[in-house]
Amino acid sequence: MVDDIKRLRNIGISAHIDSGKTTLTERILYYTKRIFAVHEVKGKDGVGAKMDSMELEKERGITISSAATYCEWKGYKINIIDTPGHVDFTIEVERAMRVLDGSILVLCAVGGVQSQSITVDRQMNRYKVPRVAFINKCDRAGANPYRAMDQLRIRLNHNPVLMQIPIGLEDTFSGVVDLVSMKAIYFKGPFGEEVRIEEIPSHLLNEAIVKREEMLDAVSMFSDELMEAIFEGTVEDALIHRAVRKGTLSRQLTPVFIGSAYKNIGVQPILDAVTLYLPSPTEVESSALDMDHDEKEVRLSSNPDDPLVALAFKLEVTPFGQLTYLRIYQGSLKKGDDLINARTKKRIKVGRLVRMHADEMEDISSAGAGDIVALFGVECFSGDTFTDGTLHYTLTSIFVPEPVISLALSPPDNKSKTSMIRALSRFTKEDPTFRSHVDEESGQTIISGMGELHLEIYIERMRREFGSDVATGIPEVAYREAISRRAAFNYTHKKQTGGAGQYGRVAGFMEPFEEGVYEFVNQVKGGVIPTEFIPAVDKGFQSCLKKGLLIGFPVLGVRITVNDGQHHVVDSSDRAFIQAAIGAFKQAYVKAKPVILEPIMRVSVECPSEFQGNVMSSLNQRRGLIMSSAEDRIFTTIEAEIPLAEMFGYATTLRSLTQGKAEFTMEFSRYSKVPESVEDELKVRYKEKAKGGRT
Amino acid sequence: MKNFFEVSPLKLLERSSHKGLGKGNLGVLMAGAGLGKTSCLIHIAFHRLIHQEKLVHVSLKDSPEKVTSYYNVIFNGLVEALDIEKEHEVRDLVDKNRIILAYLKESFDLTRLRRNLHNLVREIEFIPHTLIVDGIDFTETKRDIFEGFKRAAEEFQVEVWFSALSPKDIDEVNERGIPFPCDTLDDLFSIIIQLSSSQAGVFLTLIKDHDREPLPGATVRLDPNTFLAIE
Repeated sequence: MVDDIKRLRNIGISAHIDSGKTTLTERILYYTKRIFAVHEVKGKDGVGAKMDSMELEKERGITISSAATYCEWKGYKINIIDTPGHVDFTIEVERAMRVLDGSILVLCAVGGVQSQSITVDRQMNRYKVPRVAFINKCDRAGANPYRAMDQLRIRLNHNPVLMQIPIGLEDTFSGVVDLVSMKAIYFKGPFGEEVRIEEIPSHLLNEAIVKREEMLDAVSMFSDELMEAIFEGTVEDALIHRAVRKGTLSRQLTPVFIGSAYKNIGVQPILDAVTLYLPSPTEVESSALDMDHDEKEVRLSSNPDDPLVALAFKLEVTPFGQLTYLRIYQGSLKKGDDLINARTKKRIKVGRLVRMHADEMEDISSAGAGDIVALFGVECFSGDTFTDGTLHYTLTSIFVPEPVISLALSPPDNKSKTSMIRALSRFTKEDPTFRSHVDEESGQTIISGMGELHLEIYIERMRREFGSDVATGIPEVAYREAISRRAAFNYTHKKQTGGAGQYGRVAGFMEPFEEGVYEFVNQVKGGVIPTEFIPAVDKGFQSCLKKGLLIGFPVLGVRITVNDGQHHVVDSSDRAFIQAAIGAFKQAYVKAKPVILEPIMRVSVECPSEFQGNVMSSLNQRRGLIMSSAEDRIFTTIEAEIPLAEMFGYATTLRSLTQGKAEFTMEFSRYSKVPESVEDELKVRYKEKAKGGRT
Repeated sequence: MKNFFEVSPLKLLERSSHKGLGKGNLGVLMAGAGLGKTSCLIHIAFHRLIHQEKLVHVSLKDSPEKVTSYYNVIFNGLVEALDIEKEHEVRDLVDKNRIILAYLKESFDLTRLRRNLHNLVREIEFIPHTLIVDGIDFTETKRDIFEGFKRAAEEFQVEVWFSALSPKDIDEVNERGIPFPCDTLDDLFSIIIQLSSSQAGVFLTLIKDHDREPLPGATVRLDPNTFLAIE
């Protein structure tokens, strides 16, 4: 076991689907002796590659959900976080990007930089992840690593530097020439486990000399010492490695390696590159939010002796209970420790502490800052922060936006219903922005989330992972209602139908309240409404907020002030005052000129610059307000605010507009009044629905 | 709400011969480092936006988020200073009439700008009245770029405002009294304003007024905190 944090690497392997990242991971695990046989991704041998732990992934040969696995290489310990290649899996991507410190960007020597690689690379840019590139599939017909490298420069805006040249290509690809040591490397044995270092074949020597000079030229920009050594003819390997490392960590240089994971060529050198050029946790800045100081950002130390701060970044349900993947950012953790969940404030005990190797595990007794481990049987949500209780830090904001879109689910039979309930329980734990509830009126299960795609992903996972083939309704935007002016009420609820009567009068006013959802102000004097009935009045008003009178959506931003009323010594009751408040609300609501509010989304579209006009036009056509456009030579990022109701189907529109080269993200921004034409349409739809409900 | 136009630093232009810069023309605000060029430039922007005129803010160094945060800071100051009641409405007005075009990683060139302006006009019918250009290094930028801006100003019928850093250690002034680095470019600019600070306060002074000599006293004193005109 290696304890030195400087010899720790937390890396991701990111790439376009089918560029071979799962095969690469499998080979890495084989060479680092974590597995003892290799399998194909698509599971022809019925086993499947090690990192594909989900059925769907096994079937498609792609990786959707991130899993972490551990291995050791030449005295370094490496945690590999398998990052999703799909843009749609935002939560998974965000969490995986957050916990990794560096990455191997896998490119296909035939396909080069494809649109998915662009997306994945942009995500890594966003999270400031240094990377090394691996041009895979050099054994395939049409392989051209030089073209892939040019595309890395042109399409991804990298400063790539070739660290190797291929020995042969396509079906003659047999090894690589290392431009640092100026040696040929061959990979022998049944699975390439035997690395043979030989002299460079004579026909490649001149090319190797030229490429080494190009490499030294590029790399010396990051080291005066190396530059001097080049002039003096005293270049040493260590000097080159230091300069490449400096350039890589500053993300101004991308060292490029070549190989074929499938043919077992070039994998060990990329492992060397991970240890040589990618950062240790001490070289990456990590911060948390201090909940005692209004979520002020605080720097974490990566010191194992400091108080513990760790993030639960992934949950998995196993036959033995919930498995929680944890990245330790500061401090250390050992079996038997007490931890505090920063969100729930609940104390938990570390029972079993394990290091994960895809879906197998190894029990360990302790782990320190920078490490990635897993806990067994801990009840928590994904994204939760754990501390030792001495700090009140959180690694993710405790602010969770309200869902803006919902969808009804109808399972066809009881079996599907049972598995749907299991799936929903799991998903809501994984993702706080995904919610589910049963509608009181219709009895239907409603799921809510942050966008159309967000819900689609979970429905697909429900089918695949839980076998729940649910029918879905039409997505509904979470509209809201709000009043726009002050209006008074004075309502008496009086009922005498034999036996005890009901009596209560409430008077006061309602007014817009921008600071929050609801406020109740009691200004009743002289006991005209006895104190014991005031909570019932409040309750009555609150019950009205659940369903506005315009289109039946919740009401936001209302302050109710009650300043007068009346009671009856015999007939007044909680029930009577609840009814009086409901009557008062109905009386004043229409006078308060209610309006319909719709969720406005902050949409960000990244596209190659030539599509700027088309993208702007498409956003504008959706009642979008273009806020800005930022170019960085190749790509343009357009920011706009658009009503959610207009965003349905935008992914398809954008794909066809930009030949699949653009991606967009959106997040809730605010609620805003709908235009009159939309308001009228919504009111008509609501009336029709209500009428339909009655017949 | 108090009258913005009475406290806007651009009231200085009321003392100019054309009462403003005018479409198709270039204007520049010169100042030393840290004096508040960007703040003043954003005040010029607000002057236009509150007139409900469309404006494009072109940034050559800052991201849209940073530019927006500059606007927010200035706007919050205006809300306080002018006692703006319907803050949301004014903010919506600003958002509706302003688009930020940022050119990061030295990606700016005039062809891109013209293409982007064409896109705004053709694709979303956003026809700007004013361009605010922040972040151009006047000492490094060649004359033909400014000539290109002048042609773009005429083509798109916009007025274009720049900010220029006056280096502390260079006192060169041309025969028309225009200091470095605008001394060799003043024929391209219709209005040149200098932002200066002394013990007496922060001042905006008109040093070029179209084809005429600026009137004596074409100076406005600014509040050093809000950059609003005091007198």
